Amino acid sequence: MVVDGLDLDVPTGEIVGLIGANGAGKTTTVECIQGLRKPDTGQLRVLGFDPVTQAEQLRPLVGSQLQHSALPDRLRVAEALDLFSTARARDGGELLEQFGLTPRRRSAFSSLSGGERQRLFLILALLNRPRLVILDELTQGLDPAARRNVWAAIRQLNDEGTTVLLVTHEMDEAEALCDRVAVMRAGQVIDAGAPADLVERHASTAVIRFSLPDPPAQLLDQVRRLDGVREVSRSGARVTVRGHRRIVAFVCAALVRCEQVPSDLAIYQPGLEDALLGLLDGDQGEQPGRPASAAVTSGHSELIGGRQ
Amino acid sequence: MSTAVGRLVRAELRLMTRDPLVLTFVFAFPIVTMLIIGGAFGTRPDPAFDGTNPSHWYVASYLTVVIAAIGLVMLPVHLASYRERGVLRRFAAAGFPRWSFAIAQLIVGLLTTVVACALLLAVAAPVYGIPAVHDAWRVAVALPLGAVAFVSLGVLLGSLLPSARSAQAVGLLLFFPSFLLGAGGPPPHVMGSVVKQVAGPLPLTLLTNAVRAPWLGLGPATGSLIGVAVLAVVASAVAARRTAL
Repeated sequence: MVVDGLDLDVPTGEIVGLIGANGAGKTTTVECIQGLRKPDTGQLRVLGFDPVTQAEQLRPLVGSQLQHSALPDRLRVAEALDLFSTARARDGGELLEQFGLTPRRRSAFSSLSGGERQRLFLILALLNRPRLVILDELTQGLDPAARRNVWAAIRQLNDEGTTVLLVTHEMDEAEALCDRVAVMRAGQVIDAGAPADLVERHASTAVIRFSLPDPPAQLLDQVRRLDGVREVSRSGARVTVRGHRRIVAFVCAALVRCEQVPSDLAIYQPGLEDALLGLLDGDQGEQPGRPASAAVTSGHSELIGGRQ
Repeated sequence: MSTAVGRLVRAELRLMTRDPLVLTFVFAFPIVTMLIIGGAFGTRPDPAFDGTNPSHWYVASYLTVVIAAIGLVMLPVHLASYRERGVLRRFAAAGFPRWSFAIAQLIVGLLTTVVACALLLAVAAPVYGIPAVHDAWRVAVALPLGAVAFVSLGVLLGSLLPSARSAQAVGLLLFFPSFLLGAGGPPPHVMGSVVKQVAGPLPLTLLTNAVRAPWLGLGPATGSLIGVAVLAVVASAVAARRTAL
């Protein structure tokens, strides 16, 4: 079973991220949400509709950018917009302009670069004013400037009230965009919450390194006694301090007080990637069952984009 | 046409005009082979051709070659390629109604048949002349029924075969024997008994009989017409189920 007992609740107007290792079941989950795959058991409601039996009503309300899909090779960009435009469609020209594809409007799909194809898929996902947008590997293949552009568009879309479900391997993307993130492993949600909360729970250790050839003894004592410091080690002139994220400010303050300002001060603050690694590495034997929220292929169901 | 089917038909027709396989196999191949073989046996009535003018025999036969090329080569390759590359998933996810793609393919297949057949007759007319139609209503029934049957077969093959390459291989393997035994090859009278027995029940042989015999005044070919009708009903029903998005 690829997805089992998954519980995912995506409230209206939020950007929710789905992250996890390869093969965790993320894409299967979004395929079930879109009605492209039928769950063996369980219940699933998306915007109040069953994605399998009420696909005709649901699909016009959902915009999606799928992994492993394409357009006909000889279809031109402007023709793709024409093909996918319904009566609710936004102005395709504006979207092409926004995502920098206006000069390529007469180009065949096969001649587009990977990044241009991604942008076109995003345009098609947003074209018909969806209430829910599902984005699977949103910025794969995009250069940094294009990624920022796409992020800004997603934020704008969310500001307009659209709910976004984002499947990603890019943790900086999840941190930058998502209100909440659900972490999947082996077909189940093993934890969920705001990115900062996940980091706090699973990757709270910050590391500070600096070199002082002859550090005053009182400085190291002070640092050791700071609230949240777990370890202070020294190797020659190199000092390493580990502890809770909040120690960064305290340690820096202690250095300044002792008039020791090392030129090579380096601070490593853990992020969502560390939290994910911590979760995936640390929970191997545990059963999931955290207060996460939910989507389903077997087990119980929830609501995507609803008010509850 | 702003309905889902209309948008699909419009896009598919555009794409068809840019597809070298379609242009070669559906439009050029039947015309070129009809011109070659239609001139090979002269224009004097021949007992091997049931006493008809051999050129007219082939003009009346080659409309079904167009239909077979669409059903056995063009559509299977086209659809298998779409499925292999995830185009159908994209259509499904984009909210195209469940039956819209199957209906669009049927419409595109039939429109292609009409255009390719008209082109073939337009080329044949000044070269060999177009034979008089003896039993117009039977021809008028057999041609669309055959088109529906082969378009449905094509859609069905496209939905069963795993990739565009396999669809091309299987399609060509089905097309050429059907073409040689059932429409564009030697007339049944010069075939050996075994070959004749193999050729007889082939869908393209049935369709060609159902069109050519009433066209040239060689008989009603009711059995062949019924065979084509059954094939059309069964193939279209199965194809529709297989291609629902």
